Amino acid sequence: MSTQQQQHSTYAASCPDCDVDLHSEDPNEIVEFYRRHSSVTGHDVEFTRIGPDLVDAVTEDDLKEVYTLKDVVTQLEAEYENGVPIGAVAAAMSEQGLSIGETLEKIHEIRMGGGLYEPQDDHLRAF
Amino acid sequence: MTQWDDSQAAAVSENVTDESSTSSANQLADPDPFETEKETVFGRDWIYAGHANSIAEPGQFFTRTVGDRQLIVVRGHDGESKAFDNVCAHRGSKMVEDTPMTDPGGGNRIQCPYHLWTYDLDGELRSTPKSFEDASLNPDLENEDVQEFDCETNGLNDVHIDSVGPLLFVNLSDDPPALSEQVGPMADRLESLSLEAADHERRVVEEVECNWKTVAGSLLDAVDRQDRLPGVESAETDLETDDHCWSLSSTDDDGRAQIHYCWPNVTIEVDGDDGYATCIIDPVDAGRCQLIVDYYARDGDGTEAEREFVRTSRQRRAEAIELAERRRDADGASTLERTLGPNEHTVHDLHGLAQESNS
Repeated sequence: MSTQQQQHSTYAASCPDCDVDLHSEDPNEIVEFYRRHSSVTGHDVEFTRIGPDLVDAVTEDDLKEVYTLKDVVTQLEAEYENGVPIGAVAAAMSEQGLSIGETLEKIHEIRMGGGLYEPQDDHLRAF
Repeated sequence: MTQWDDSQAAAVSENVTDESSTSSANQLADPDPFETEKETVFGRDWIYAGHANSIAEPGQFFTRTVGDRQLIVVRGHDGESKAFDNVCAHRGSKMVEDTPMTDPGGGNRIQCPYHLWTYDLDGELRSTPKSFEDASLNPDLENEDVQEFDCETNGLNDVHIDSVGPLLFVNLSDDPPALSEQVGPMADRLESLSLEAADHERRVVEEVECNWKTVAGSLLDAVDRQDRLPGVESAETDLETDDHCWSLSSTDDDGRAQIHYCWPNVTIEVDGDDGYATCIIDPVDAGRCQLIVDYYARDGDGTEAEREFVRTSRQRRAEAIELAERRRDADGASTLERTLGPNEHTVHDLHGLAQESNS
């Protein structure tokens, strides 16, 4: 991706420890980057940019309540035909201060409890 | 950016001719050769796995992925390093989670979380749950007909491991050549430096959207140019080549510095007596690779010399990455092979080995 493309990418994430980042249009590519990076460093990775549409989709709430992760999945389901990309969920949760690693841990926990399922790999729907 | 210096451009090898060329862009980025390389390069050659100091105590381990194989590298009770596939002999489950060398795991046993098969540090099966010892849940089998597991044949799959000083290399093939055949004279040079005396300081991992050989070629440009090495102000450079390794060294009154590139995917930069860095160029897929850089220092209190070494080392890599990305951007879908000059012979050798592995 060129520097100009990077400046206009929808998603970006970085590892502050290594001072490296990744820009992408695909939120799940950010999650793949996190997995590869974490597996050899143990470092977590943080979103530094997420699309404004995604921010709107999870913050437009009259009561301004803090959404749970499952709420976020439910909220985003209308935007995606076959499950919400976990990267989109992680991006949304980053607005609440969760790192990608922390979000993936929570997703795993809720999935194992039956609250979420994957209609396809790395895409979520809520029960 | 470093520029060519004509004064240093003497011919250094007879093996570069007018016919010499690099691999074309398509050859580099085509996923089929990459799939082939998992077998013919990463499945056959010795691959740098990590540093022995990180698993100093018996039971300490780290994981390393080579090609498609996930490995556990562990220190045995006998003090020797061992490597196994990170796959349980029972049902083929992944046993331990990804564990970087920089944060090693530990324990007296390796246990699969799936059915709790437990192995010792030699990879032999040591225990199974009681449900594997009787047939109480199987109406078609009597307890006395249950066969006892043979601990040896039900052990973990061994992977060959050897070292140059504290640098651990693994080989996935069944009957590999000796590591010394691959690393050649580089081994003597590195072993004379007491690399084990330095401590790990920092790991930096970055990704480059280029084929791993494109990045390797760019890193080797510095060797071909015989750049001044970090930590050495003015000195004669000495380039030593072997079938699979290329070493550039400089010595002056204040110190000595070396850069080694060992086929297929590791560089070792030595900064005199202060420290060194290893850089693994790991392919992610045909068009992307991960650079895993580890810095080691003998006097780990962050001296100015160490900081300068890290800065120079990072600058060298940043230049190589930029050059690799420029090549990638310009290549597009080109099928043209690129002609090499008479002094680009380590790049020539690298591409020769790559083409050989894909033929």
